[in-house]
Amino acid sequence: MEDWVVFRTWVGDLTQMIAEATVGQTRFHEYSDGVASVMTESIMAVTVFATIMGTILALLWIERKFFARIMDRRGATMALRSLWVGEGGQHADWYDDLPFGTGKPIRWLNNLLNEKAGNASDYETVHRTKDRGYHGVWWLLPGMIQNVADGMKFMTKEWMVPAKADKFIFEVAPFIIITSTVMIFAFIPLSSNIYSANPELSLLFMMAIFGIAPFGVFFAGWSSNNKYTLLGGIRSAAQLTAYEIPLLVTILSLAVISGSLNIIEIAEFQITSGVWNIFLLPLGAALFLITMVAEVERIPFDMPEAEAELVEGWWTEYGGMRWGLMFASEYLRCYAACLLFAIFFLGAWEMPFGDTITGIIPNQDLILGAIGVGLIGLAIGLRSEFPVLLAPVPLVFISVIPPTAWLLFKAWFMFAIFVWIRASLHRIRSDQILEFGWRWLLPLSLVNLAIAFWLRLSIWQGGEWPLLIPGLITAIALILFIILGMDEDKSAMEGRTRPYSVYTKSKGPASPRSHDR
Amino acid sequence: MGPQHPMTHGLWTLKVKVDGETVVDTVPDLGYIHRGVEKICESRDFTKITTYCDRLCYASANTWAHSYIYAAEDLLEVEVPARAEHIRVIAVELQRIASHLMWLGAFCPDIGNLTAFVWCLREREMMMDLLQELGGSRLHYNFPRIGGVKRDLPIGFAMRARAKLNLFLDRIQETEQMLDESTVFLVRTQGVGYAKPEEMVNHGVTGPNVRAGGVNYDIRWAHPYSVYDELDWDVSVERPSIKGADCYDRYRVRVDEMRQSARMCLDALDKMPGGAETHYSEGDPMILTKARERAEEGKTGFHHFEDSRGESMFYLAGGGEQRGKHPYRISIRSPMFITIPYAARCMIGHKVADIPAIMGSFDPCIGETDR
Repeated sequence: MEDWVVFRTWVGDLTQMIAEATVGQTRFHEYSDGVASVMTESIMAVTVFATIMGTILALLWIERKFFARIMDRRGATMALRSLWVGEGGQHADWYDDLPFGTGKPIRWLNNLLNEKAGNASDYETVHRTKDRGYHGVWWLLPGMIQNVADGMKFMTKEWMVPAKADKFIFEVAPFIIITSTVMIFAFIPLSSNIYSANPELSLLFMMAIFGIAPFGVFFAGWSSNNKYTLLGGIRSAAQLTAYEIPLLVTILSLAVISGSLNIIEIAEFQITSGVWNIFLLPLGAALFLITMVAEVERIPFDMPEAEAELVEGWWTEYGGMRWGLMFASEYLRCYAACLLFAIFFLGAWEMPFGDTITGIIPNQDLILGAIGVGLIGLAIGLRSEFPVLLAPVPLVFISVIPPTAWLLFKAWFMFAIFVWIRASLHRIRSDQILEFGWRWLLPLSLVNLAIAFWLRLSIWQGGEWPLLIPGLITAIALILFIILGMDEDKSAMEGRTRPYSVYTKSKGPASPRSHDR
Repeated sequence: MGPQHPMTHGLWTLKVKVDGETVVDTVPDLGYIHRGVEKICESRDFTKITTYCDRLCYASANTWAHSYIYAAEDLLEVEVPARAEHIRVIAVELQRIASHLMWLGAFCPDIGNLTAFVWCLREREMMMDLLQELGGSRLHYNFPRIGGVKRDLPIGFAMRARAKLNLFLDRIQETEQMLDESTVFLVRTQGVGYAKPEEMVNHGVTGPNVRAGGVNYDIRWAHPYSVYDELDWDVSVERPSIKGADCYDRYRVRVDEMRQSARMCLDALDKMPGGAETHYSEGDPMILTKARERAEEGKTGFHHFEDSRGESMFYLAGGGEQRGKHPYRISIRSPMFITIPYAARCMIGHKVADIPAIMGSFDPCIGETDR
């Protein structure tokens, strides 16, 4: 499908025009191209930054709400679902107030959800424990303003430096972390036409910048002069050696399969060759996901900040807005990781089944026509008793969604998976991640690299992929996934042989103060 | 680590000597919240001590109150109606479920998972509601009385209790699946914090911790009090590996014990005899008269009790001259006071990251430890 939002071209034309009209008319007219170029780059940088900063609210929202949904918390945290499933005996009816009967499909969905997954219980007595509905105002998207309140709180807090800290490094470390994090987004394209910078080797450049922040963490941990922060900082450095190499080898396999070290070309290759990388390199996708979770230091790989034993790890001593910005930069890194996963493996900004869907519409250039058809469908669907008739409507509208939105949707989806991982896993130990990294991730990433070489050299003949091979690979990956998911050594569990007992360290020497006396 | 540290689950200090991230030596330092409950009780009526016993452990108030009540009844030679005994069993076992849920909810964040915490507290809420119906408040119930319980079961309690317990039995499966089928959880708990059964017996460790080591010792089964021998239940004992009980065993035994407690409650609801005789009326002169008699004889009252965390014991000495209503001396055996030093020993040789896992798996409660 054609990318109709050629934003960079529009901005380029506009700045060219402005430069021609202003600088071009003066005696500096030979610089007008340069001025236009500077203006274009600035506008693009600001656009990308603003888009990322604006849409990161969605991430925070997912982190709060989806997490709360999994955890089955009570109260306003349940917002999203309780908007339509009126709980605690009170059925939501806000959709009846919507104009033109647009609430009808929502009512249908509401009834369906209440029937299939609702909280209607046979026991009235357990209703209280199940009553976790949101009784506030639905159009406020409950919980969104909380982020603003948090920001205000951070800004009004005092900035303190511990007396025994190395003041200079302690002050510098947050800047290293925050600036390197923001710099990542210079190289992440939001579509083939919306990007801030596009050097030839942008992949290498970006991964180099991605690896800077752990050094900032290490500096922060060491300079705080505190036992917990020191342990956290050293853990961060130790962890870095375990996942960074598999991560880079996995990314190398992407460069191999696409034949380029440029992020936009890797993304475009998936679109032109017709198959997303996740269907070619499912192992690589899994490795990338795991190493990226480690890179952004989320559970199960958040040993540097392990709050149970290290209080808050390396940022125990930080407070105020510096802490807030570092926390924000953690989410920015998460966002970058999700965007990269979407770009590298999920076909970047391509619409899923885009060709099929746009093929339905006879003349896909006529966007207005598509909207007209959609409106007619909407009208018919609303007049009828069956909201199912509305199904083709989104199909029509879907074809005019800009590619950037698809990329962001995919990134949010990936972040939901990140949250899911966080909600269901525990924190592993630092010796275990080292063992896992060196014994499993590194060999597997080399296998993945070999697969990429094989695919590129002997399967791909230029043009599109033969569809048999990705289908086969995906089927094998799915079967392996299911088998590994079912892998439960019942006899070992029964016999208490402890399949996961990895106690390798011998006991330390008992001191005279030991309790053996 | 401590006295204010996420690992401590209370107020105490664990002095840890580390070599890199490996624990070389540990010294527990207890006593931050010593309130002198035993001394306070010496100036209180026998009937007024229950509230102090409630406050020995906020997570398991009912078991401690009952622990005292049985000792006091031993001293005062009070007989309890069968219906009251059934109600007591229900109250204690509901409290045991709530306490173990609190434990599981605190143990999982120790190794990094917040979901299990919220799920466990959600289920604990049901138990709290039931106990609130019995005792009137949500944390410190002051439910048992010498010679019975505060009041009879409320109308409809049996129906609500059955519904909630059945729902709990459903839901605990969900939590169990999330933990047992997660390799990360197994990696963090299996092979961590081995406690040898013979060492535990020598140190006096009791309760779920020692049953995780394969020692079949449950007071409710070994020296049955109340109506435990009439109910349908099994002692939950783990079969540990040759090296001893690890954190995973201690997790399993508590989950199994919650099931058994629910089973016990359901069975007690079925077998409960009718009638309204649940207690002696308040301020019954008989108790106080008897107390004076017993005090003159200089006799003592004593009871083992299976607390949520192990074997609690109350030792009461009668009032003596001029003090017939008050105990002359009261002594409390706290299971965690004995277990915490042993748990601290188990950590030697493990990583710093294992300290919360091992300490959490022993279920420390500092209120009862410091008394």
